[in-house]
Amino acid sequence: MKESKSGWPFVLPYGLHFAVFMAFPIAFSFVLLFHRWDVVSPMEFVGFRNIVTLFHDRLFFRALLNTGVFLLIHIPLQIVVALFLAEMLNRRIRFRGFFRAVYFMPVVVSGVVVTMLWSQIFALNNGLLNQLLGALGLPKLPWLTSPTLAMPSIAIMATWKNVGLYIVLFLVGLQSVPRHLYEAADIEGASSWQKFFHITLPMINPTLFMVVILSTIGGFSLFIEPFIMTGGGPMNSTLSAVLYIYKQAFDFYRMGYAATLGFFFALLVMGVVILQRKLVEREIAY
Amino acid sequence: MYCGKNTGRLIGALFIWLLMVPVACGPKSRSENGIRLVYWSANNQSEINLARMVVEEWNRLHPEVQVVHQPVPEGESSEEVILAAVVGKTTPDVYSNMWPGDIAFYVRAGKLLALDQFADFDSVVQDRYNPEVLEQMRSPDGHIYHLLWKTNPIMMLYNKKLFREAGFEKPPKTYSGYLQAGVRICRDLDGDGYFDRWLGVTDIRARWRDRLFDFYPLYIAASGGKTFFNRGRLNVDTTAARRVFAFFQEIFRRQYFPKLVPSGGRDLFLAEQVASRITGPWEIARLERLKPPDFEYGFAPIPVPDGQTGPFYTYGNPKSIVVFWNTKHPKQAWKFAAFLISRMSDFRLLTVASQLPYRKGLLDDPLFRPYFEKNPMMVRFARQVPFTRAEDNVPELKEIFDAISQEFEACVFYGAKSPRQAVEDMMERIRLLLPEEEKGGAAVEGE
Repeated sequence: MKESKSGWPFVLPYGLHFAVFMAFPIAFSFVLLFHRWDVVSPMEFVGFRNIVTLFHDRLFFRALLNTGVFLLIHIPLQIVVALFLAEMLNRRIRFRGFFRAVYFMPVVVSGVVVTMLWSQIFALNNGLLNQLLGALGLPKLPWLTSPTLAMPSIAIMATWKNVGLYIVLFLVGLQSVPRHLYEAADIEGASSWQKFFHITLPMINPTLFMVVILSTIGGFSLFIEPFIMTGGGPMNSTLSAVLYIYKQAFDFYRMGYAATLGFFFALLVMGVVILQRKLVEREIAY
Repeated sequence: MYCGKNTGRLIGALFIWLLMVPVACGPKSRSENGIRLVYWSANNQSEINLARMVVEEWNRLHPEVQVVHQPVPEGESSEEVILAAVVGKTTPDVYSNMWPGDIAFYVRAGKLLALDQFADFDSVVQDRYNPEVLEQMRSPDGHIYHLLWKTNPIMMLYNKKLFREAGFEKPPKTYSGYLQAGVRICRDLDGDGYFDRWLGVTDIRARWRDRLFDFYPLYIAASGGKTFFNRGRLNVDTTAARRVFAFFQEIFRRQYFPKLVPSGGRDLFLAEQVASRITGPWEIARLERLKPPDFEYGFAPIPVPDGQTGPFYTYGNPKSIVVFWNTKHPKQAWKFAAFLISRMSDFRLLTVASQLPYRKGLLDDPLFRPYFEKNPMMVRFARQVPFTRAEDNVPELKEIFDAISQEFEACVFYGAKSPRQAVEDMMERIRLLLPEEEKGGAAVEGE
């Protein structure tokens, strides 16, 4: 008994951290679901009004749709690019270490810096991409000012920013595939594509699942890019769910409603992750 | 393991001590010699210098009420810092950089002191404000909770050389004249089929605050000085709003403004790629520091609909002085706030911080005259001061501007709606945001 008590001081830092930064905010957010609160005035109990408002809020569902569009572009693009580059960097090429470091660099650079850099690359009039298109005799593209192009542009940028992390994960996965499987396939006369689809891909399935989960959760939390680059425009085409929640909370001080949106969104992300787990994860053994 | 109990006690004691330190070190409201007030100013260097000077003077004249000056703590914006201070009950007694758009929000929460409760209120304010400005400062409950302190009248900054080359000695005053200037100013300089020089520029992001610097000043000008509310009830001049929407829509249809999302690149105005910009007097110091040799610029009134005659109104982008609810010395805090808007303090605001006091008759007062003789660029702004308007005193202001911004974006930047439809939708959205008592009657149709 004495022994167990003496352990408390050691877990106190974590306990405090958990209580202050996790348990309390979650519990407080839950209380906010049923209240109207603008931070400075006393809370007002509103029952289920925030939840009813949510289901009538067309802009929130538009923001969810936008986030879905982003994920649909971002996740496949991320996986294809990361896997391709990981495959390249897994081979014996010159300056392999250098390239691995270079691809990882955007991951450690601040998201705000990356976003500002890409804003200049995407700029309509003097942007690098449009200057390139101009030099090729092609028309300029409104990367960030067209409702159709803005979200794909942000997805491209987000892929560039995060791909380094997923390259590292895929590299770990690729290096764990037993060599003898490829040797056996070579004896059987399998082509490179056959080896990739029938050995590599199934063997790195756990990594693939992890990449899908991480990029889904990362993608759902899309915020900095539209916040800085487009403010959610043009015409709400890049308004992500998190940006919308942020606006409700910190522009309009509707804390109760923002908490309701946050809870709903968290449940949605959890549902998607469970679904992905069922669809993507496979137990493979040779 | 015997030390477990002692360790626990030690950690507990340390934790309690840490909690007590900030309380023990916090400001005391009563100094050794008398009353002590805390005053927060803006945190730019010129206003810090000004505040130090004014506080020094106050402390010399009032040894029984000593004021301690602190610049508003650093944060993403001073509005956020004030919100955090209100929530944490760490506000100063007096604050002089309050955005008037936030006043109603804090009044509703009971966090500001009504200043008109003090017996000498009328005598303090009557020399400084016109009756209509006083009326604008009044909250729906009939009280006045802030003193409009300084103003940055929003005007049109223009490149003299570019307008001169286009055949205009001064920028045109009307919408059609301004569009006509666009025909001659906008140029494709590198022959790639796109303009590289534009008539003007504005941020095309649909953020509510950006509309304070394009739609709102032009709306105030087009409506002859109206805002959105009259005595706390919605009262939008929809004709003026439609005209402004149509004017900007035409500008973007002709591509006289670039579809620009600012990205921290070079300044297009200084690079002579844009000929004009809707902005305030704070640009003067920046331009003087950064302008290339022979770069000529000036300020002119913002354009108004054809046929409209003066006076030309604009948005004043003001800041206010407030006294927070939790001050322990309301009377003394009010006295200090009144001292901040005295004629002498206004003189210092002008000469030390180069900012215009929200005071009537600035140009007629012999005290201020030498400053304006030395700074002729400020004369134009000083003339504009009586014809400026602030934001309305309603808690839903940001959401109203968000609704405007959404419709402005769809109509102006992307041509997805006609000005009529956009203004109708804007009005519908605004009405949905307001409680019944603020909805007012029908919108005002201008002539």
